Amino acid sequence: MLHPLISNPASAQEKSPESVQMLSETETDEDFEDEEFDDGFEDEFENAEEEIFDPLSGYNSVMTEFNDGFYVYVLDPVARGYRWIMPDPARRGVKNFFHNLLFPIRFVNNALQLKPINAGEEMFRFIINSTVGIFGIWDPAKEWFGLEAHEEDFGQTLGYYGVGGGFHIVLPFLGPSNLRDMFSLYPDMQMDPVYYVENRPYNFPKKEGEYLGLSRQTIQQTNLLMLKTVNRESLRIGQYENLKKDAIELYPFLRDVYEQNRAKLIEE
Amino acid sequence: MKVHLKHFAGRILIVLLMLFFTSSAPLADEVKEIRAMTKEKVDIVINILKDKSLSKNEKKEGILETIDGLFDFSLMARLSLGKKHWKSLSKAKRKEFSELFVERLKLSYLEKLDLYTDEEVVVDEARMTKKNRVEVLTYLVTKDDKKEMIYKLYKTKKKGWMVYDVDVLGVSIVQTYRSQFSGVLKKDTMEQLLERMRSAGELGA
Repeated sequence: MLHPLISNPASAQEKSPESVQMLSETETDEDFEDEEFDDGFEDEFENAEEEIFDPLSGYNSVMTEFNDGFYVYVLDPVARGYRWIMPDPARRGVKNFFHNLLFPIRFVNNALQLKPINAGEEMFRFIINSTVGIFGIWDPAKEWFGLEAHEEDFGQTLGYYGVGGGFHIVLPFLGPSNLRDMFSLYPDMQMDPVYYVENRPYNFPKKEGEYLGLSRQTIQQTNLLMLKTVNRESLRIGQYENLKKDAIELYPFLRDVYEQNRAKLIEE
Repeated sequence: MKVHLKHFAGRILIVLLMLFFTSSAPLADEVKEIRAMTKEKVDIVINILKDKSLSKNEKKEGILETIDGLFDFSLMARLSLGKKHWKSLSKAKRKEFSELFVERLKLSYLEKLDLYTDEEVVVDEARMTKKNRVEVLTYLVTKDDKKEMIYKLYKTKKKGWMVYDVDVLGVSIVQTYRSQFSGVLKKDTMEQLLERMRSAGELGA
């Protein structure tokens, strides 16, 4: 059966919403017969034909595969083992503790983005959670006072002031990023207390240069980062695999998900 | 004469006001209804997930039945492939692509629900973005955070309002598939893409 719209070339040119609805309302054969395509919808989505500037796509694909392998064969099994050993409340406590420590990043970036209320709430959260919440292990600020965290990082601050992402870069272990967000890691890192862990003789390990010739400080920082990472992953096991199922090709998929998500976060 | 004019202007004002109220009031009601409908469907899905007396298969069937009337899957398939590629296909190929894609989408949705534990879904406000589009804002609330999900609906002629896209944390499902398909089709032919989707479907079944 010919669709009524096709038989009339004049109306086939039309892009009225009515004609669109007629075509998309049922799953009859007409759905597949129509020559008309809904331009109203077409405008809502980015033009897929436009070339995305991605000079590192070759490297990025390889690094994505590497990170994927690392996650699947190392991080995920370790996180599952850790989950098996550590009870859920303990893992939440560890997560909250590290999250609380990152208060300076959130505070400064909220302030830089001229969000004084959010910055103030972060300040209250830090004071309440560091004391009543015992070094941030609990989150009474949220549970008792309804104060939610306001996640902001330097990349978002730059985005707020109109700095574009630049081309996409997949970082080893850290995953998807772009030019702007990669350089933003540095200022944020300066505000992460984990990088200020001091070299103390009573900290593990005992002797300087005992492991692979690394300084004690480096090892201590790495240990903390590993704990932080494994703990974080243990609380979201299965999510990455699940996300991956929507991918036809992993690298472009993860790139788009990252960039769309960042755009949204900056918009807020 | 002056009095007359005033009178006249007053009448016009009243007519305009009436027009304004009659046209906007049902609109607001409609948006409310869409929100209520979305909430109803979401609640049904959550109740099915929570119901321990149902087997895994019964849950799947129940959920698919619930969302079938809410999601316009075949439109999602067309939008995901994009105008240019869709137009280049024969009727049979369109149909095949659509079926494979919808299958994939449903499977992916069900697998995401497998991760469901104790989350609460809060249906927030609905807003009309343009004449035939409404967005319903929902939150998936877990112990540690809340994830924003936006259901985007449009008005169909016979089946009422239906979802044509979902944004999860700002990531549009349709947009993501669009860029992927266009990327794949730059290197491969449509036949190769269909072949890949066919074999993926078999793996999933």
